[in-house]
Amino acid sequence: MTNSQNSSPRTAAFIRLFKAVAILGILGYLGFFVYSNATAENATHPFKLGLDLAGGAHLVYEADTTGVAAVEVPELMNVLRDVIERRVNLFGVSEPLVYVESSSFVSDVQQERLVVELPGVTDVAQAVAEIGRTPLLEFKLIDAEAMSAAAAIEQLTANASGGIGIDNVKLNGEETPEPYVDTGLTGRYLESARLEFTSGQAGQLANEPIVAITFNQEGGELFAEITRDNVGRQLAIFLDGEIISAPNINEAIVGGTAIISGGFDAAEARELAENLNFGALPVPIKLISTQTIDATLGAGVISQSFEAGVVGFGLISLFMLLWYRVAGIVASIALMFYVALSLTVFMLVPITLTAAGLAGLVLSLGMAVDANVLIFERMKEEYRSGKTSREAALEGFRRAWTAIWDSNITGLISAGILFWFGTSLIKGFALVLGIGILISMLSAIGFTRTLLIALPEVKREDKGVWSYLFGTGLLKK
Amino acid sequence: MKIIAYRKLWLLIGAGIVTAAALIVLTLGLKPSIDFTGGSLTEVRYSTLPDKAVVEAAALATNLGTVSVRQSSSDVGQGYLVSTRDLNEGERAELSAALTALGEGGEISRFTSIGPVIGQELKDKAVWAIGAVLLLTICYVAFAFRGIGWPVSSWVYGGITILVLFHDILVPMAAMSLMGYFLGAEADILFVTVLLTILGYSVNDTIVIFDRVREKLHEHRTEHKKMVKVVGGLDQEVVTHTLLKPFDQIVGQAVNETMSRSINTSLTVVLALVALYFFGSTVTQNFIAVLLVGVLAGAYSSIFIANPLLVMYEEWTRGKREVK
Repeated sequence: MTNSQNSSPRTAAFIRLFKAVAILGILGYLGFFVYSNATAENATHPFKLGLDLAGGAHLVYEADTTGVAAVEVPELMNVLRDVIERRVNLFGVSEPLVYVESSSFVSDVQQERLVVELPGVTDVAQAVAEIGRTPLLEFKLIDAEAMSAAAAIEQLTANASGGIGIDNVKLNGEETPEPYVDTGLTGRYLESARLEFTSGQAGQLANEPIVAITFNQEGGELFAEITRDNVGRQLAIFLDGEIISAPNINEAIVGGTAIISGGFDAAEARELAENLNFGALPVPIKLISTQTIDATLGAGVISQSFEAGVVGFGLISLFMLLWYRVAGIVASIALMFYVALSLTVFMLVPITLTAAGLAGLVLSLGMAVDANVLIFERMKEEYRSGKTSREAALEGFRRAWTAIWDSNITGLISAGILFWFGTSLIKGFALVLGIGILISMLSAIGFTRTLLIALPEVKREDKGVWSYLFGTGLLKK
Repeated sequence: MKIIAYRKLWLLIGAGIVTAAALIVLTLGLKPSIDFTGGSLTEVRYSTLPDKAVVEAAALATNLGTVSVRQSSSDVGQGYLVSTRDLNEGERAELSAALTALGEGGEISRFTSIGPVIGQELKDKAVWAIGAVLLLTICYVAFAFRGIGWPVSSWVYGGITILVLFHDILVPMAAMSLMGYFLGAEADILFVTVLLTILGYSVNDTIVIFDRVREKLHEHRTEHKKMVKVVGGLDQEVVTHTLLKPFDQIVGQAVNETMSRSINTSLTVVLALVALYFFGSTVTQNFIAVLLVGVLAGAYSSIFIANPLLVMYEEWTRGKREVK
């Protein structure tokens, strides 16, 4: 602005015109970028479609973290995510998404969840089965005393005749202790596993298939510590919650390797070794929610949303043109800028587009133009009070800004809360709305303003077409 | 238009709308979808559609408890929506096999199963989310209008905004209840999304008018400062104000001057929604219809409820101020 004040009116007019042409150039470039990316086969930044548009499966697992110290839970969930991610990558799905989700702090029940999104996979049975093949490996010490007590109780219960039901036998008036004691050593410390065969020494059967597992550094140390402290006791190996062997600990085992032998045949042992190599679950998981969507539904949604967008844009532009005349044309061009910039942001971030998100984008056309309406209404008042069209435009921007700002902040508050509230499909809508609000403010100050002040300057009482064009209303001057 | 002159009439109509909407919501009730209750929904499509009774019988034969079957026609073909309790993987496979065998080209196009814990959590979150938006809005409005001070405190503007927002979500809730009662539409996660969107949007019109009230107040208000001796203390500066024009006239003028922008901003959104309703996807059609009701209710309330309330409040407290 300081430039134009010091220079001649002609230079100022030239600068205004230059700015207007420059932003129209930006609009053209954005439009070209969006169009070429949306239509090209191998676009560098294609739109990212949500599961409801691309089709696919959405699985939610609940992780059983009972008995895990609260501070370790996040770390454990990360291990779980990595394990499942490796497993899911076997499908060859283009962009699988595996993430950890904690139940909200407002919820009564606290749960740790793992969400698996598989775009393009509609055979949910196969997906669930594949994920289900991830083994759960746990090592537990056997409490010999509790074990014999449990055995005795079982004996007693079995012997008790039908008349005297013994439901809950207690040991020394206390709850029966759990015979298997968690050691904290689980599949999360696993590094690798391989199939081996016993050599037949030291009283073993020759050629029995076994699975040799190697722990990582941390796991090896833990294993050495457990075995050192518990020589003479039994260490039970649990696979998927079932005990498969309970060897005696004869001495401290350093070196971080262990053997699982459970009377497998060679095929079973090979499969176990393969599955363990993809990682073992650190905690048990349970499928609690499934969603699959056919891709054909999504294709229709996209084309219809596009149609609705075009019609919506047309209606809004027509209304703006009839009511605000030349300013309405500026608003329509600004709206194009809004759409192009929004779509560019969606592509570059990228933001996952969903059915609700697309509806949100069309809806936001109507909201984005609101800033223009507020500015033009104010401009109209100033214009009528005798200011020139350009003065009125600048004053309109200045005076309307507080209302635009305040009302957009409340919109952003809602979008923020909506983002927190929503599932992954709703988050897309919240982002579209929130980004839309920011871009609409940008397009109002950056785009509408620049174009509007580049137009010829007139007064209301002037004769001629420009004076009419700066008026508002359907017919009146 | 004589919005402020007939304020009692407008408020009476507003109260009538709120009462009617509350009665509809309370008597008909919202029909919660499995998003909130937990359960499963299977959509099966056929190239030749079997009878509904056949589908019902087959679904019941799987022994999954209560089953409800609705016909669905989307853009890609005809079929049925089968709702049951939430299903595990084995039960899902069983039901899918039973359903797809019923007619030619039987195919599962959509399956959703939601555990009860997730449903309950979403319900809790929905209540918290709406509460949080209301609370943050009242705080923001009170903050944004902090300079307005006299004769009505900025917290009153915030409070009125919230009262108006109750109206704005009660009306679409009533619309949803009616749609649930007559068309079987279910209130799902999209419905809560609509409510939150309305909360964020419909406050805009109210803010635009309040913004003009603020501007007018600054124009028509004079400030007098004087030092007052407080017994046993220091001198204190006391600011008093005088309005050069009655408050109701100021508000009335603000409403009239901003009328065309209140209408036009809502109209542009309505145009977008109309395009979405008629040309957009059927997936979001109910969502759009409720949103449309909400936007119209929001436009109405900011003119016919918010400002009459503001004037009534000022009149009600004027007596107290004058006694001081």
